[in-house]
Amino acid sequence: MLETILSTESIRKSFGAHCVLDGVSLSVRKGEIVGLLGPNGSGKSTLLNILSGFTPSDGGAVNVDGHDVTGLPPHAIARLGLVRTFQLPSMPHRMTVREVLQAGCRREAGLGGALRRWRYDAEVARLLDQFLLTRVQDQPASALSGGQKKLLSIATALRSRPKLLCLDEPTAGVHPNLRSRMVELLKEVNAQGVTILVVEHDMEFIRELCGRCVVLDRGALIADCAPRELVENPRVVEAYLGKAVEKGKLTA
Amino acid sequence: MVQFFSDVLIRTVDLALIAVGLSCVYSLIRFPNIALVQYAVAGSFLALLLQGAGLPLPVAGLLACLLVGGLAVLLNVTVFERLLASGSAIAMVGSLAVTMILSAVFLVVFGPDSRRFDLDSHPVIRVLDARLTVHQLTAVGLTAGAVIVLALLLFRTTLGRSMRATATNRVLAAATGIDARLITNTVVFLSGVLAALGGIGLALKGEMNIQLGMDVLLPVFAAAILGGLGNALGAVAGAVIIATAETLVTNVNLGPLVGEPLLFLPASYATAMSFLILVAALLVRPHGLFVNEVKRV
Amino acid sequence: MFEFLIHVSTMACLFGLLALSLNLQVGFAGLVNFGHIALFGCGTYGAAIAFANQWGPVAGLLLGGAAAALLALAFARLGRNLGADYWGIATLSIAEILRTFATNEQWLTGGAQGIHGLPMLFGSLPAPWGPLATLGLCAVLLAVCWALCQRLVNGRYGLALKLLREEPQLASSLGYDLAALRRTPLVISGLIAAVAGFLFAHYTTFVGPDQLYSAETFLIWSMLIVGGLGNNLGAVAGAFLMQFLLAYVPFVKDALGLPSEFVAAMRLTLVGGGLLAFLLWRTQGLIPERIGGRHA
Repeated sequence: MLETILSTESIRKSFGAHCVLDGVSLSVRKGEIVGLLGPNGSGKSTLLNILSGFTPSDGGAVNVDGHDVTGLPPHAIARLGLVRTFQLPSMPHRMTVREVLQAGCRREAGLGGALRRWRYDAEVARLLDQFLLTRVQDQPASALSGGQKKLLSIATALRSRPKLLCLDEPTAGVHPNLRSRMVELLKEVNAQGVTILVVEHDMEFIRELCGRCVVLDRGALIADCAPRELVENPRVVEAYLGKAVEKGKLTA
Repeated sequence: MVQFFSDVLIRTVDLALIAVGLSCVYSLIRFPNIALVQYAVAGSFLALLLQGAGLPLPVAGLLACLLVGGLAVLLNVTVFERLLASGSAIAMVGSLAVTMILSAVFLVVFGPDSRRFDLDSHPVIRVLDARLTVHQLTAVGLTAGAVIVLALLLFRTTLGRSMRATATNRVLAAATGIDARLITNTVVFLSGVLAALGGIGLALKGEMNIQLGMDVLLPVFAAAILGGLGNALGAVAGAVIIATAETLVTNVNLGPLVGEPLLFLPASYATAMSFLILVAALLVRPHGLFVNEVKRV
Repeated sequence: MFEFLIHVSTMACLFGLLALSLNLQVGFAGLVNFGHIALFGCGTYGAAIAFANQWGPVAGLLLGGAAAALLALAFARLGRNLGADYWGIATLSIAEILRTFATNEQWLTGGAQGIHGLPMLFGSLPAPWGPLATLGLCAVLLAVCWALCQRLVNGRYGLALKLLREEPQLASSLGYDLAALRRTPLVISGLIAAVAGFLFAHYTTFVGPDQLYSAETFLIWSMLIVGGLGNNLGAVAGAFLMQFLLAYVPFVKDALGLPSEFVAAMRLTLVGGGLLAFLLWRTQGLIPERIGGRHA
């Protein structure tokens, strides 16, 4: 259980003169659910984009499940087991929910024949059910609500059998009822052996879901602890509350 | 050597205004509008019609430019705005369809033969060593004038500031009280005027025919893309590069390379050269050479 | 009249092949190709060059296919870092470069005059049977290619293509190699176009650069848009519809006693107007793309 599945070594990234990530090193062990927190603009999404290969880093290294993936294109990283979702998942107009889910599995049917096809279909049906999408399976995927799109993107990601699932703000813009279901779902997924790294704003969600969390502020890692220890960490309090206090002053 | 530069200059003038029009309008409406080259043909034919109706050529030309500007706005409002909602590729196919329909109209109204403006013939004059006609010089003057006026408009007036603001960030510009649709259609109008003026310039130096539009299509696109679509003045630089390359290809003696005394490429390779530059430019810099656009993830 | 009908049907079958192959690119993979006619040209010139050098028709077919596959790979390479509309312009440019080359390189292509006198398919059969046999062959090939395209796009692979067409970012996050995913339909489409070109060359017995104007690509586009992008049956239906409409324009001209410009203008209006009308009012075409349903 203690094997490392993801490790990064002093990742750096600047956009022009603006430094977004200043040497971030973190590691995730197999089977964990890790929360990646931080105020707006702290570099969380950029870090996720670098891990998944969508943004090139300026320096540092990323290692996924024993493979050095630095500089690899997104699809190669996905094939090595790191699959991500997007903050605002955009879904196709001319494909149904079910079709998107079917397309999620890259492995070609090829020689498989009827048995394998039956198993794929069974898997699609199970995921539709598990992610509450059975009722909308024949609708165009783009017609789903924001929350349903997030569910669909997680379900689709699962079809490519990830070892490490990276979620970009899965609860942003999601109905509260769905939010608590999301916690259960992700725990189920984790129980099946998928490691999860989740970028989130919602502290409540993190507390319910994650065993450990890391906090980014202004491009640097400032904390790595259990969620309940966050409030006792002065740097985290400063990163978050410092701003809250300022905001308070502004509104007062 | 002087003749070479004058050839380059003349070819630049052929392409520059239409390319500038294309580039201008692209900054606000994000699809490559193929029909723009037909606006140039429309401009020259309308000017010819109006001249035939008894107007002096400068007045006829001006009126033709304004009419084509109006046509551009009309097409934008009725066709392109709607198509753009389905994506830039669809809008581009739509502009192709408009191009064909305009071709059909030209064919029916003007016939397949080449025409000329009714102009006094002037003797060829020699500037330094180059041979030029008065009409060629007029076209050069018109182009230079139009580019200067456009530059002043873009960088010295409130309208220009609003245009650039809308091009950079439509939402933000709208928040500051700019009417984005009005600005867009103003630019569409301007692009029509520029294209028409370019067409009139082309026709001044020689003949006009209904193929003119398709003939300059790819060189104009090459110039605009090389200049970074959306960068109006970059398009002029792009036109200079394309014109230079085209002139070089047909004027350089390739004989020594293959061990023969004289070997010139056929003239039709000149345009092929500009297509080649276009492809190469697209390969090297997808967004043109003078624009530094960060690709979104 | 009967002969004319057979001629138009044969041409409709050939354009049906071209529409199918372009549909694979545009309709399913979302690749806006404006240089499609160049792939067809590989087929025609493959046949013509093999004929001029007396290599035999099989060599001609292979030559055309190989050239089309190479060109398709070049298109794919070009598409790696271009947006859809830029790629369209780039492919249009390449097609024009190749046409210019074909017009000027006399030693290889016969220049502007092209290459004449290719043997007719089934040329030895007596009058009505030769053309009929050609039509039959074209129709059979159309059916085969249609079945091939159906098989390709109805399975899991078709879904992957659609995902690539609509959400490339999502597709690549799921492990799809976009460049590879684009390459396959381009090459298959190139091969189908080359077969159409080969048949066309041996049907008309003449190959020249004037057959490769971009207007032909735009004609194929109008067939797709009218028939239905992303639907193989629609592509073929569009090809037949446009081909028959255009074939009867000269009769209308004669009946009404109109000048000869009318034919060219009417063709432009039909192609351009058809494109525009369907884009504006019935974007999905006559036979819309099938969405949903069962997939193997």
